[in-house]
Amino acid sequence: MTTTLAELDRARDTALDLSGWGRRFSFYQPRNFAFWGYLLLVGIGILVFLSTLAREYDAYGQAIGLAVTSFAIYGALFWWFAQHIDHYAKLPAKLMVVAFVWGGFAATGAMAANANDAILALYAKTFGQVWALNWGAGLAAPFTEEWAKGSGLLLLIAMAPRQVRTAFDGFILGAFIGLGFQIVEDITYAMTSAGTQFGANQIGASVGTIILRMVSGVAAHILYSAIFCAGLVYLLGRPGEPSKVGRGLLLIAIPMLLHGAWDSLAAIAGPSALKLIGLLIATIVVALAILVRVYQSTVKREQDFVRDVMAPEQARDVITAAELDAMAGNRKARKAYRKGSRKAGRKRSERKRARYVLNAAYALADELATARGADTDRVRFARTEVARIRAGVPSRW
Amino acid sequence: MPDPETAVSSAAATPRFEPDERWVPADERWLGLDRRTIRPTLAVFALAILMSVVLPVIDAKVPYHDIVKAGDVLELEGDVTFVPEAGWGITSGIRAGHVPLSGEYPASATVEDGAMKFTLRTGQFHGDANQLLDQIETTSEALNRGRGVRLTGAPTTIVTDQGKQGATVRITGPHTAGVVAAFVFDARGVEAVATGPSDAGAEPAATVLRMIDSISQTGEGKR
Repeated sequence: MTTTLAELDRARDTALDLSGWGRRFSFYQPRNFAFWGYLLLVGIGILVFLSTLAREYDAYGQAIGLAVTSFAIYGALFWWFAQHIDHYAKLPAKLMVVAFVWGGFAATGAMAANANDAILALYAKTFGQVWALNWGAGLAAPFTEEWAKGSGLLLLIAMAPRQVRTAFDGFILGAFIGLGFQIVEDITYAMTSAGTQFGANQIGASVGTIILRMVSGVAAHILYSAIFCAGLVYLLGRPGEPSKVGRGLLLIAIPMLLHGAWDSLAAIAGPSALKLIGLLIATIVVALAILVRVYQSTVKREQDFVRDVMAPEQARDVITAAELDAMAGNRKARKAYRKGSRKAGRKRSERKRARYVLNAAYALADELATARGADTDRVRFARTEVARIRAGVPSRW
Repeated sequence: MPDPETAVSSAAATPRFEPDERWVPADERWLGLDRRTIRPTLAVFALAILMSVVLPVIDAKVPYHDIVKAGDVLELEGDVTFVPEAGWGITSGIRAGHVPLSGEYPASATVEDGAMKFTLRTGQFHGDANQLLDQIETTSEALNRGRGVRLTGAPTTIVTDQGKQGATVRITGPHTAGVVAAFVFDARGVEAVATGPSDAGAEPAATVLRMIDSISQTGEGKR
């Protein structure tokens, strides 16, 4: 069957519409109730966090300084990594900041922290102190923290219904909500550790906690929320992602189970340090394997969007079929594209140029998305950039 | 390959119109708000109220029923123990012999009797009891910034039933009075804080002194 250019253009329009790719996001939306709800809960969370910080700063200033600096670097690295894995229908950066702030302040100080304290105390009153120490955290945090973080996605969908369209969007936003939660929780843990030696030797007392939280952090809140929020999108359904209730419930349950297991590791392992380390590693490996599987299944739709958006460009000879496959493919496809360049006997400089062409093609895709598929000056310029780099002509800008 | 500037063109030269992100369809407005955003926001509010109001209120209404019986001993991290007064309520902490599955006792324990409260806390500390008391005072002053509870008066020496020498000082606040005692067993610091209403008298109650005297570390005598 032959597909005409007009059909390809229509498929592009549909993909852009369904994915929401390239649409702007305005944070200030006074007629949006979710905007006010977000402001209120984040405002409460910020007040709680800052008042704690202000109260404890004079006593634990060194540990707070170390924790804030360390986790700021950690957050920046994660931000870079999230940008690195999201080659496809990208979300506005502003939306990711909004997600991060929800996780850091509303989900912690305005919601989960209060519930955790109450539930742990109720467990101790009902089942005894020993039972609460053994199982309390594992049977409180998965419910309070996962739902506090995940509820942020409900507000984000209401605030950005034209941008949050697929399970992959939920996955990425969930990861940023989890990152915010993780960083603020880690700073709080560092403050607690700083006080464990009566305020003396703050750095020594908190550095172990900071390192442990950094190492385990990737397989903790960031991962849990990414999976949970992908599940929430499947459960609710979005224009770019038909509702799949079973899959949604499964993806919501998995991070809750992982979180519960993580918080109960010390009780499950018993006094054996070796068993604890073994279980710790096993839990991280299982969690990361699930994360990769969820990433692979959710990203497929985004890859299809890229293919639909760029197929007319291939039909018009702006990019080649191999470049289209690399753009809309996974890491392996991009690797195969680079290897293909090598097999073709190209020189190193030509292989490098092929990579630059791919980057310019991604930039063209972003321009097309912003222009909603129209032939604007910026789109035409992005096309000339692909042609210029392919021809090996130096930039005059 | 055709020249991209001339041969390539899509159907439209300008983007298709899309209404502004803040625009709300006339049939979706309610009191000026976008009606579609109300339900998800109320759902999140309900969750926030459940977590931040309902659960803490339920917790506050449920009393502790774990009452100390004669002969009970509470144990903390680092083999530190003390004998709480019979009839007081255990609000945190674990009896000796009821070790958690992790094999580690918690670092603090609290018992209460009406407005009276006694908390024992342990942690690593390199120094003697007087230095620990100074450290406790420094941290307390930094946390309270001269307001609330303060350590007052000159430290005095106290000796436990086990023969361990410690340092103690009184604490006072707007409505609270009490005593802080500090001990160091090798590199394990122990802080005991007893507080009660200020009208109960400046001197610590005999019950509090008995609990402080009972502080010990398993094996300390052997050392």
